[in-house]
Amino acid sequence: MKSILTCQGITKSYGSGDIIENVLKQVDLEFFEGQASVLIGPSGSGKTTLLSILGCLLAPSEGQLLIADQSVNFFDKSSLTEVRRQKLGFIFQHAQLLPFLTIEENLAIVGRNAGMNDADIKQRLDNLLQRLELQAMRYKHPNQLSGGQRQRVAIARALLHRPSIVLADEPTAALDWLTGKTVVELLLEQARLEKAVLVVVTHDTRMLPLFDRILSIADGLLSEQQQTAIADNTFYTQT
Amino acid sequence: MIPFLINTMASVVIAVSTKMLSHNRMRFVMTVTGIAIAFFLAAAQIGLLVGWINTNSAIINNAGVDIWVMAKETRTLDYGTAIPRHRIQQVSSVKGVAWAEGMLVGWINWQHPEGKHITVEVIGLDNANAGGPWRMAEGNIASIRLPETVIVDELSKQALGTLHVGDEAEMEGRRVIIGGFSQGVRTFTAAPFVFTSIENALDYVPYYHYDEISYVLVRAVPNANILDIRDRIAQEVSDVEVLTTDEFAERSVKYWMLETGVGITVIITAALGLLVGAVIMSQTLFAITQDHIANYATLLALGFHQKTLRQIVLTQSLSLGGLGIIVGLVLFFLACNASARSPIPLETTPMVTMGLVAFSLLCCIASSWFSIRAIFKLDPVSVFHG
Ligand SMILES: Nc1ncnc2c1ncn2[C@@H]1O[C@H](COP(=O)(O)OP(=O)(O)O)[C@@H](O)[C@H]1O
Ligand SMILES: [Mg+2]
Repeated sequence: MKSILTCQGITKSYGSGDIIENVLKQVDLEFFEGQASVLIGPSGSGKTTLLSILGCLLAPSEGQLLIADQSVNFFDKSSLTEVRRQKLGFIFQHAQLLPFLTIEENLAIVGRNAGMNDADIKQRLDNLLQRLELQAMRYKHPNQLSGGQRQRVAIARALLHRPSIVLADEPTAALDWLTGKTVVELLLEQARLEKAVLVVVTHDTRMLPLFDRILSIADGLLSEQQQTAIADNTFYTQT
Repeated sequence: MIPFLINTMASVVIAVSTKMLSHNRMRFVMTVTGIAIAFFLAAAQIGLLVGWINTNSAIINNAGVDIWVMAKETRTLDYGTAIPRHRIQQVSSVKGVAWAEGMLVGWINWQHPEGKHITVEVIGLDNANAGGPWRMAEGNIASIRLPETVIVDELSKQALGTLHVGDEAEMEGRRVIIGGFSQGVRTFTAAPFVFTSIENALDYVPYYHYDEISYVLVRAVPNANILDIRDRIAQEVSDVEVLTTDEFAERSVKYWMLETGVGITVIITAALGLLVGAVIMSQTLFAITQDHIANYATLLALGFHQKTLRQIVLTQSLSLGGLGIIVGLVLFFLACNASARSPIPLETTPMVTMGLVAFSLLCCIASSWFSIRAIFKLDPVSVFHG
């Protein structure tokens, strides 16, 4: 399997002097092509912090991040932007679509920014809107959509430019259980189709059986749980 | 659909910036209106200044001559002092001079038919009427050859109390008859112009001798080098100053605008107008940027470069400013038109207009500084905490 994303000894602490808070302690992790992981942990345990580092949005205090075997230079903001532009897709808790653009425009500007040509953007847009059942929403503005629809648009936006890594921070927190489950299932399905590495932070333990790997953080330490056989997890899959 | 229309990142910048602006239509309209008014105020001040400058040099520029000969240290046309009348003959005999004639300027008392006194500026004209009115509203310029006959401008009918050709009034206690009305000869001072012949003028103006005038107006032979002729006159005729028409116009304008402080006041007011515009612009733009700061953070997180975001802000400032300036220009041109026949006209030249627009656009760019700084300081990691 091809290694896409690697953390080596990543440490993150906030503050200085006497009030240093060590949020991440020596995190080592490796993600492979097409792998879908879920990241769990109590509130304030550092899930968002880890995701921000993986997303080249936040510099670790120590350690290295490798994307496609290339070490990320956290000191050069412009090169961080380049990595995000080409390699990463994001889904936030609230879809964070631009309210003044239509759904189509929200998606198209990302493709354009990634350097895709007209024909490619159009074909990709048609395809994703269809896969995510959003064709009817194409010319609408975000405020005309439901929360679940908006997150589906966010999924399309995260995948449009064919990133190798997709990161989602509590994408279902603002949705009801059923809608949230559908969104996560769609996200998993589409990311697998694209062979992207997917890391999803969630509070909802009922989602765990859907993922390939379960990562949990507590006291700054990351541990991996064994994914139990789906049969043993009927509780989680009930609707 | 805009992202599909144009082939580059520019399309994204344009789409995002304009749609962000038009999203809040009310604020958009208010901002453009504010900038338009500010620009109009500044333009009106400048237009007033240009109008004054034109008024100020109108007689000089419309005289149809190339060179002016005058007493030394003459600061402006209006304050000409006496030189001997035979300077006309001396100047005429200089090589390259086609013809020369005299002109007399004096300030005297005019008695309104109803009794009140006002000061007028009498202009005495020679045979060819050089330096006289260039457009007549009523009557004929030739009438000033008649004794006691004068021409005044239609704009000063009320002030002088003479509404019709043939009306009478008094200057320095002696009768004057209106022979006609000129058109568009404005006065920059409060004193209306009264045109008549040199001979008539000498009868009224007490402090001029019969053998004195104020200026010699010179027409050069065709295709001559005006500067050479100017220098030759200065060499051959003693006790005078010799200026080309442009030089004299410039000196007159400079006197009124700079030495009297009028121009400085107007320029300061114009600058204040633009400053107000820039402040409105800067505040609105900053408010818009702040309103959308989360969206900017999202764009940064999604891999848009800082440069692109700065271009979005700049595009907004230029489009708000550009629209405001266009609306302001339309208002200004309307005002120029409406004031064309008033005593205080707004006027402009292509150079002045372009300079004003360029300066205003610079103000717009400068006013985006706060917004650009806010974007500069933006950390995309904030998206996860939005
Ligand atoms: N910018 C920051 N400055 C200081 N402390 C921070 C900052 N961001 C997060 N923290 C702290 O780091 C810890 C982990 O935060 P976070 O990664 O957001 O946790 P989670 O997403 O798991 O709830 C928290 O205790 C939080 O207070
Ligand atoms: Mg969090």
